[in-house]
Amino acid sequence: GNDIVLRKLSELQAGEKCCVVGTVFKSMQLQPSILQEISEEHNLVPQPPQPKYIQPSDELILEDELQRIKLEGAIDVQRLVTGKRLRWHPPCGFWPGLTACSAIGTILAVYGSEQDDGGFLVEDHCFADLPPPLPWNGPSSDRFVLLASGLGLGSVSGEALLSTQLLVDVVTGQLGAEGEQSCAAHIARVILAGNLLSQNTQSRDTINKAKYLTKKTQAASVEAVKMLDEILLQLCTSVPVDVMPGEFDPTNYTLPQQPLHRCMLPLASAYATLRLVTNPYQANLDGVRFLGTSGQNISDIFKYSSMDDYLEILEWTLLAGHISPTAPDTLGCYPFYKSDPFILTECPHVYFCGNAPHFQSKLLQGKEGQRVLLVTVPDFSATQTACLVNLRDLTCQPITFSGFGADSED
Amino acid sequence: MADELYLENIDEFVTDQNRVVTYKWLSFTLGVHVNQAKQMLYDYVERKRKENLGAQLHVTYLVAGNLLQNGHVCHKVAVVREDKLEAMKFKLSTITSVHVYSIQKALLKDSSPLYNTDYDIVKTNLQHCSKFSAIHCAAAVPRPPSEPPRVPAPAQGPQRHGDPDTASTVNGHRPLAAKTPPQQHRGIMGMFAAKAAAKPQDTAKEAKAEAKEAPGVSAASSKPPTKNNIMNNFFGKAAMNKLKANSVPEQPKEEKEVVKPSVAAAEPDSSPNTVAEKPGKKAESARIQQNDKKSRMKRANRLDDEEERDPENVKKKRKRIKQLQSDSSDEE
Repeated sequence: GNDIVLRKLSELQAGEKCCVVGTVFKSMQLQPSILQEISEEHNLVPQPPQPKYIQPSDELILEDELQRIKLEGAIDVQRLVTGKRLRWHPPCGFWPGLTACSAIGTILAVYGSEQDDGGFLVEDHCFADLPPPLPWNGPSSDRFVLLASGLGLGSVSGEALLSTQLLVDVVTGQLGAEGEQSCAAHIARVILAGNLLSQNTQSRDTINKAKYLTKKTQAASVEAVKMLDEILLQLCTSVPVDVMPGEFDPTNYTLPQQPLHRCMLPLASAYATLRLVTNPYQANLDGVRFLGTSGQNISDIFKYSSMDDYLEILEWTLLAGHISPTAPDTLGCYPFYKSDPFILTECPHVYFCGNAPHFQSKLLQGKEGQRVLLVTVPDFSATQTACLVNLRDLTCQPITFSGFGADSED
Repeated sequence: MADELYLENIDEFVTDQNRVVTYKWLSFTLGVHVNQAKQMLYDYVERKRKENLGAQLHVTYLVAGNLLQNGHVCHKVAVVREDKLEAMKFKLSTITSVHVYSIQKALLKDSSPLYNTDYDIVKTNLQHCSKFSAIHCAAAVPRPPSEPPRVPAPAQGPQRHGDPDTASTVNGHRPLAAKTPPQQHRGIMGMFAAKAAAKPQDTAKEAKAEAKEAPGVSAASSKPPTKNNIMNNFFGKAAMNKLKANSVPEQPKEEKEVVKPSVAAAEPDSSPNTVAEKPGKKAESARIQQNDKKSRMKRANRLDDEEERDPENVKKKRKRIKQLQSDSSDEE
């Protein structure tokens, strides 16, 4: 409301109820820090990777352009994660007009009062909320997009290979009766959201073993990329494919990841239907705006927050207005200093993340008429599940593939 | 009669050759549409079962349908053995398709033979993998190769993108080069263009077997080496590998042109144009060869795979090795 006073941190007076806008920073004891490791005089073993780094002693700090203040009270310290602590421009609108800011990171507005001990007692808080909506130009007939991620080629598991082949066969119209084939014919695009190669291909042999032992050995990813090429070729002869790189794919590590190079896929790149794209990826498919990542942003937030549900985290990033708030703090990211491309300025129609543990989807309705379909695309090598999004009505359906094994139970 | 013929074929495959006959394998082998192949398999099973009740025949089916799972509708596509077919059909709330997936004599423990069969047959038909499929995509045409079809399609890839447009790939937008002129471009991309341009030219030569083409190739190959000097300074090792990649295919081809002697540094005697370039090129190529033999061997192996056991290419590979030895002995 307009009766609430908006203050900068430097203008705070003790005991006065006001609202402060700033970037969130969470100080975590368990957070792996390279400086900590180096500054230790003793030979400490570096902290092993853990699934979650949260601890009860973590603190939340709000920063604005000049100061920072510790937050206490009605705010869930465990849930939030660090936004970036880079430059901040003064808000050019009244709260809650936060989307007009060109600040970087998770912007938070808290309502409460400063306490005597210097902390800020929070009574309520809010994020930037959904970005402004995009006009809807979706198709009038059924048009599908297949989302799959985590194909995990190059791993030792053979079970997933048949499922991958079944996926390709369904999409290319070889499998299934006539009805199924005609449905598959409506698949307008296939998006592979990262981790096409399995984690097993990231062999550390070259680092651990002596050079003379590893000289003649081929990297595991070479065979896997050849297999990927053949699979992509089969898909490309039938449907346009967008290939996004992921955490284990041969491209750069920091976000935004650059597309896989076409030289690695000689067979498939002969076709114009193959599109090698970046991670994160934004595209207009038939008037529907897609935006998504291969999942590194979400899994990083998962590690540093008490939120366990990938769909919840996905929704939170959308509400916070930033695709990857933990970059570059805990997730590698290119040091953008002029502008941050990860800030959401418009609301996509489909917002997805790849390599989630299971499939989830939700249709979010915003106050300004936004309709967003949130999809967590499951890891195919583990779940053998892909998602089919219907562009006409923004619904999503999972497809599971299975073969039979020696120990098949029904 | 055509119907009887295919039944006999399937019979032969299953019983005599003891194969795992999947619908895809049958489709490619007999050259029929996948749906027709499925129908054929179904007919065969029916007939065989009617004739001979104790037939040694195991069938796997593909079942697809909707399933209620965790509160939402999930589409399931599964390959099941015959004995589990009814159970699976029962589990699905709606069934969208059931058809024969494969027929084989032995009972399969798991689905890996199915996968292997399909994988092998697709591998041998990679270029036409969607020929018998039910869906055709008009946009999915390979970029037209502007060279004789003898050159395998993968080699067209680098040539197609030989445009010196390195800046635009940063944003993930690939330039859709419609046609690559076989001119010499600057930069690393130029190397690929030169090499690929030289390669198809070489194969044209092989077809015609004329020494006339040699100047063309030499001209193409001489340019990169001179540029290589500059490149070397900037990029060091990386450039060196690429240079070898360039000089290696060109040198043996030129040799072949001329008569097959084991000339030390691969200059064709019969091409007068390259005389001036010779000393520079020889020094260049000798230096390159000495520095990175291993990568060249790898390169030789890779080319060998690509060109699918062509005896000429095997000869080429041998010649390359010979050349190596003679060079190193020359150096010493």
